[in-house]
Amino acid sequence: MATTFVTTHPLVEQFEASAKAAVATVEIIDRTPAALRDAIWRAAGDANRVLFAPPQDLPAELFAEFARDPRVVSQPSAEELVNTPAGVTEAFAGVARTGSVCVDVGYQRTGMASLLAPLHIAVVAAETIVPQPRDLFRDDVLGGKGLTRSFVFITGPSATADMGPLVRGVHGPHRLHILVLR
Amino acid sequence: MAAPVNPIDIQPRQVANKSDKKALLAAIRMTLGVQSAAIRRNTQTFNRNRYTAVARIADYDALKDRARKTKENAIANLPELLRQLEASVRANGGHFFLAKTAADANQYIRDVLVKHDVKLVVKGKSITSEETRLNHSLEAVGIKVAESDLAEFILQVADEQPSHIIAPALHYSRERITALFKRKFQTNLPLDTGEELTRFAREILRQQFIAADAGISGANLIAADSGSLMLVESEGNIRMTTTLPPLHVAIAGIEKVVPSRADFQSFIELLPASATGQPLTSYVSILRPPLPAPSFAAPGKGTKPREFHLVLIDNGRSRMREDSVLHEALYCIRCSACLNVCANFETVGGHAFGGETYSGGIGGSWEAGTGKLMNARFSELCTGCSRCVPQCPVRIDIPWLNQNLRQRMNHEDGTSLTKSLFGSLTGSAPQDKSAPLPKQFFANYHEVGKWGTRFASLANGSSHMPLARKFMQNALGVDSRRELPAFPPKTWEQLFREEPRVEKAATIEPGIAMLTDTFTNYGSPERGMAAVRVLRAIGVDVELTPSIPDGRAAMSQGMIDTAREQARAMATMLRPYLDSGRKIAVVEPSVLAMLRFDCKHLLDDEATIAALASNSFEALQLVWDMATEVGIDLSAAFPAAKSRFGTRLFYHAHCQQRTCSAASQTIDVLRAAGFDVVTSSVECCGMAGSFGYKRDFYELSMAVGADLFAQVRDAEQDGGPRILVASGISCHEQLMGGMGRTVLHPAEVLLSTLRK
Repeated sequence: MATTFVTTHPLVEQFEASAKAAVATVEIIDRTPAALRDAIWRAAGDANRVLFAPPQDLPAELFAEFARDPRVVSQPSAEELVNTPAGVTEAFAGVARTGSVCVDVGYQRTGMASLLAPLHIAVVAAETIVPQPRDLFRDDVLGGKGLTRSFVFITGPSATADMGPLVRGVHGPHRLHILVLR
Repeated sequence: MAAPVNPIDIQPRQVANKSDKKALLAAIRMTLGVQSAAIRRNTQTFNRNRYTAVARIADYDALKDRARKTKENAIANLPELLRQLEASVRANGGHFFLAKTAADANQYIRDVLVKHDVKLVVKGKSITSEETRLNHSLEAVGIKVAESDLAEFILQVADEQPSHIIAPALHYSRERITALFKRKFQTNLPLDTGEELTRFAREILRQQFIAADAGISGANLIAADSGSLMLVESEGNIRMTTTLPPLHVAIAGIEKVVPSRADFQSFIELLPASATGQPLTSYVSILRPPLPAPSFAAPGKGTKPREFHLVLIDNGRSRMREDSVLHEALYCIRCSACLNVCANFETVGGHAFGGETYSGGIGGSWEAGTGKLMNARFSELCTGCSRCVPQCPVRIDIPWLNQNLRQRMNHEDGTSLTKSLFGSLTGSAPQDKSAPLPKQFFANYHEVGKWGTRFASLANGSSHMPLARKFMQNALGVDSRRELPAFPPKTWEQLFREEPRVEKAATIEPGIAMLTDTFTNYGSPERGMAAVRVLRAIGVDVELTPSIPDGRAAMSQGMIDTAREQARAMATMLRPYLDSGRKIAVVEPSVLAMLRFDCKHLLDDEATIAALASNSFEALQLVWDMATEVGIDLSAAFPAAKSRFGTRLFYHAHCQQRTCSAASQTIDVLRAAGFDVVTSSVECCGMAGSFGYKRDFYELSMAVGADLFAQVRDAEQDGGPRILVASGISCHEQLMGGMGRTVLHPAEVLLSTLRK
C-alpha cells in the first residue's frame, strides 16, 4: 500500500474541501507525465474521445504521455467539439475558500474544452492556489494574470434551480474533476 | 382594469403595470392564489443560504464599506468613466454605443444584427434588456431570439415578466413548469422531474447555441480601465452566449461601470453570497472582449473574426443620478438580498411586489427612475420593516427610498378639501396634506391616541360599532376584520405618575430616560409600566419623558415633512436627558429604529444624530447590558420558576429590533432568568406597524403571518403550550389575532417573577 510522504499545503487542503463542497471531485497527484496520464484516464473512464486544450502555463511535456493516446482530440472539428464526452484543460489558478479553478477562455480552445463536454477535467498546480477569489484581481498575485486575461472562475459543475429542484448539469459540464499537481 | 374574480384567470402581464391601484390589488390576489408556495420556498432558501454565506466572509462589513465607496465614487465620476470606458473598448477592438433611451439601444442592436444578417440570436439573462423590451424589437424585424437562461426560457414560453431580479421565474413550481411545457410544446416526453425538464430545455437550446449568429449578454460590472466585463451565472449559458457565436453584444445600464478591474475585488465575493448564498456561483466570467476568433467552424458557418459591441443605456439613469434620493438606487448591484429577506416579497414575489421589469424593495426606485413615478405604486408593499437594510451589500437604505417615493406619489394623488381638513385636525405638515386619508390617519396616530384615551369608553365602543367600523374601512382603509387595540382608560404617563415611590434606592447611575412613545403611551401602557418596574427592580433610576410624536408613523406613510417636524421636536425634547448623561430607553422597537438610523435623514445636526443613535437602547437590552456591567444575577433577580405564566416561552423579536441588533439581549435576559425560550425565525410577522390593518393588505398580512403561526404550533408539538412573547406592539396584535391568545411583553414576563 502506497503511503504519501509529502505534507499537504494548508491551502490545498482547504481547496480540496471547498471544491468537494461545491460538488467537484478532487485528486492530488504527483507532477509527472505518467501520473497525470493515469489520473486523467481514471477520471475519463470509458470516454472514447477526450478533447484536449494544450496548456500555456504548465509545461507541455507534462501532458505529453496523455496527449499521445489516440483517443485524444486536440484539433477538433465543430462536430467533435460539441460531441466529445470529456474535455481536459489546465487552470492557471485555484481558489482555496471557494474551491474554484480559473480557466483562461481567451486562449485557443481552452474555453470550449472546459464548457462543452459533460465532463471537465481541470489540472491546477498547487502553488497557484490563492486564498480568496478577490486575490485574482491583484497585480502581485500570479504575475497579475487575473488582471489581464479573459477567464472564468469555475466552481463545481453547471447547475440550475430554475426547474424547481436543484439540478446539476445544465448547459455546461455535469461533472468537474480537478487534478491538483503537488 | 376589471380584474377577473378567480386569481387563476389573472395573467401576470395584465397586472405588470401597477400605476392603477386596482392592478396592484389584483396582482396580490393572483400571486397569493397561484404562486405563493413556490415563491416562499425559493426566496426563503436564498435567504437562509445568504445568512450562511456572508457569515463565512471574514471581513464582510469592511468589504461592504469598500463596495459602497467604489459605487459612490463611480456614480460621482460617471461621465469621466464612460469616456474612459469608450476608449478602452475601442482600443480592445470593440464597438461602443451609449444609448440615451431604451428605443435608441434597441435600434442600435437591431441595426448591428441586421447588418450581419443575423437570423437567430441567443441571449443570456439580462434584466436590462427586459427594461428595453429588446426581444420584441428584434422579433419585429424577423430575428429569432432564444432566451438561454432556463428561467428566461420559461418566461419566454409563458410570455410573462420577471418576478425576481436574479431568478426571474422563481414563481413557477416544478409542477407548473411541467404543465406549461406540455401545453406549449405539445410533447409526450416525460417531464416530471427537474432533471427531465432541464434536459428537455437543454436539447432545444444546445441546437440554438450552435446555430446562433450572435449572442447577447448583460453584464454585472464593467471596468472602465480595460473594458472588462464581469458576468455571474450558474448554468453555463452566458459562457456559451459570450464565447460561441462570432458576434457578441453586451447590454447594460451605465451604472454598472466601475473604474478598474481591480475594483472587482470588492464585488466578486459579495455579489454571489448576497444573491444565491453561494461562495461563488458555478461560473463567474471575467472577459475583455472581443475574445479571439473561435478556432473552429460551426456547421455551415465560416470562421469570422469575432466582433463585440458594448451598448450602455441611460434611459433615465442620468436623471436618477441628479436626484437627491434616487441616486442611491444606482449603487444597486442587483443581488436580490432585499427581495429574499423581505417577508412581503417572500409571500407574493415580484408579480405583485414589482413592476414591468424590476421588483422588490429596490424595484420601486428603478421603475420610477427608468419610467413613470406611478409605476412604483407597488412599493406600497414595503412596510419599512428595515430587514433589508443590513443585508444590502452596498448599504442602500431601501425603506428610505420607498418612503420618498410614497411622498412623491402622495403629492401626485393631488389634494382635496377633505384631505386638507383632516390633515389640519390631525397635525399633518402643510406639504403632507395631499396624502390620502388613510395615510394621514395612520401617520397621525398620536392625535388619534390622545383623543381616543381621553374618551376611551366612547372610542372603544365606537370601534366595535358596525357603522363606525364601516366608516373606518371605507374612508380610512382600516380592515373591519382586525380587532382594534382598545384605548386604555389611563395613559402610560398617568400610570407612571400614580406609581408609588420605589422603596429600593437606585444604585445604577446616572439612570435612564424612557421615551414615552405614542404606541405604548396610548396603546399599551401596561407594557411600558412593566419595563419601568423591571428596570427599577435592578436598581436603575427611571424618568419618563413627555409624550410627543416621534415621526415613525408619519414616515411610514411617506409624510416626510411631518416626520421631520416631529423628529426635530423629539430631538430637542431629549437633549437635556442626554446632557445629564442619561441613556434613552425605548419600549417600542420601531421608535428605537427612528433614533438609531432614521433620524439621520430627518435632522441636520451631525452631533445630535450621533448622540441619539449611540445613546438609545431597547429596554430589555439595557437590562442585559446593565446587569452584565454591574454583575447582577438575573436568575436571582427574576427567578423564572416563580412566574405565574410558567417557564415555557415562544419569543418573537420585532423586525426593526433585530436590525438594531437589539433582540438577542432580550433572549439572553429571559434565558438567564431561567426561562425556556423558543424563538421565531421569520423576518417579519406581517403586521408591520399599520400595514396589516389596511383593508387592501389584510390578506397579504395574514398570509405573511402564517409562517409565524406555524412556527408557534411547531414549537408546541413537544411539551405543550408556550406563552407568546413579543417586543413590538404590532407583532403583539398580529400574534394575538392569528393565535387567538394572550401575548405578553418580555418585561411583563420578568415582572411576573417578582411576586412576593
